[in-house]
Amino acid sequence: MAILEVNHIQKSFGGTAVLKDISFSLERGQVLSIIGSSGSGKTTLLRCLNFLETAESGTIRVNGKTLFDGENQKHLSDSEIRQNRLHFGLVFQSFNLFPQYTVLENVMLAPKLLKKAPVAQIEEQARSLIEQVGLSNRIGNYPCQLSGGQQQRVAIARALALEPDILCFDEPTSALDPELTGEVLRVIRGLKSADRTIIIVTHEMEFAKSISDRVIFMAEGIIEEEGTPEQVFGNPQSAKTRQFLSSSLESF
Amino acid sequence: METFLQQFPIVFQSLNIGFLQTLRLFSVTLLGAIPLGLIIMFGSMSRFKPLSVLTNLFVWVIRGTPLMIQLLIIYYFPGLVLHINFWGKGESGRFAASAVAFIINYACYFSEIYRGGIQSIPVGQREAGQVLGMTGSQIFFRVILLQVIKRIVPPMGNEIITLVKDTALARIIALQEIIWAGTAFLKGSQGISGQVWPLFFTAIYYLVFSGMLTLLLGWVEKKMDYFRG
Repeated sequence: MAILEVNHIQKSFGGTAVLKDISFSLERGQVLSIIGSSGSGKTTLLRCLNFLETAESGTIRVNGKTLFDGENQKHLSDSEIRQNRLHFGLVFQSFNLFPQYTVLENVMLAPKLLKKAPVAQIEEQARSLIEQVGLSNRIGNYPCQLSGGQQQRVAIARALALEPDILCFDEPTSALDPELTGEVLRVIRGLKSADRTIIIVTHEMEFAKSISDRVIFMAEGIIEEEGTPEQVFGNPQSAKTRQFLSSSLESF
Repeated sequence: METFLQQFPIVFQSLNIGFLQTLRLFSVTLLGAIPLGLIIMFGSMSRFKPLSVLTNLFVWVIRGTPLMIQLLIIYYFPGLVLHINFWGKGESGRFAASAVAFIINYACYFSEIYRGGIQSIPVGQREAGQVLGMTGSQIFFRVILLQVIKRIVPPMGNEIITLVKDTALARIIALQEIIWAGTAFLKGSQGISGQVWPLFFTAIYYLVFSGMLTLLLGWVEKKMDYFRG
């Protein structure tokens, strides 16, 4: 059974349709990359999944449970919205670490507030996540003492701490210097496992090609092309996909 | 020189009493205006339109008119127009009226500083809290607040230093603060008259006190130097 089913999602901002009838599904353990040019709706789609934006119509189902239904969305209380959000984790383009907290505190804060486990256990889990992203030696540092790549790795650990069903990345390396993107991409690659489902919005084509099980190419608010990386990158059917790929893979 | 030495203890004692009143008004104003400013800010940022319009109108009136007029109106209006002795007699009545006028006035300025501080926090901080399943108040108190405090210390410091000297305005309703005490020796009090030097001495009180506040504010800023945000 699909872990995520998205059906007929639509979203517009001030009369401009940003998402026009988006549908896709994802199996548990799969990595999905969403590519496309700026303004194609990739980020908005991710934000709708995380309930940072509310879609106008369509449905979002996780593990067979309907989290969002555009036809019937009136009765969601704040706490229900928060529960729904917890199915998803989101790593932002601009990291958004909490500057007044150390690395460890950033990772521990949300689980502590949600009282997921005794504090000692939360700390143990946080320490092992920080180790997993390779920052054990930075555990007591504040975000301003870290490089962008290190901050993004902390943000990944922070998102993992809530054990979301689906972990989303919104252009995780776009705000980084080229020499720092590698360390972040390596961490993301290391997360790939049978029970972790990942959605990545990215401009890193080579990375998308090598890590993904499925690729979606978006253009002007619709899914222009969808398939395995071999299909989308190797044998694109749509003219728009071909044009996008040739301009983004262009070497100088 | 001999007369100065004779006058000095009298003036010193009198100024000390006046300065105590200045300090009292200063502290009560801060204690009242800091939380009231928060309430006014929530009002002005409310998504309930009538409330935000009304609050902004209020802030406009208070910030748009002199504190001195507000003092006069607040003190005299109940007695002269409504014919009720609202503030009570004597110095305690004058102090109560001054405190109310100062708290309202400064709360309006503070509310705008708070609002600016909150709006300057990147929206990503709130969103990060949201995707981590935090409630609105958890996001405000655990994520946003300390960052706001760090950002508003300098402008708040400005207002606080201004408040030290603004307390002298309460003299208009004859509150016996330090300038009232200092000018008494111009006109004549306790056998001393026509003396300007007590006023210079008064200025030194202000100078020393605002100097101490400046050091304190610098210390607070330094305390929050450990993070950038």
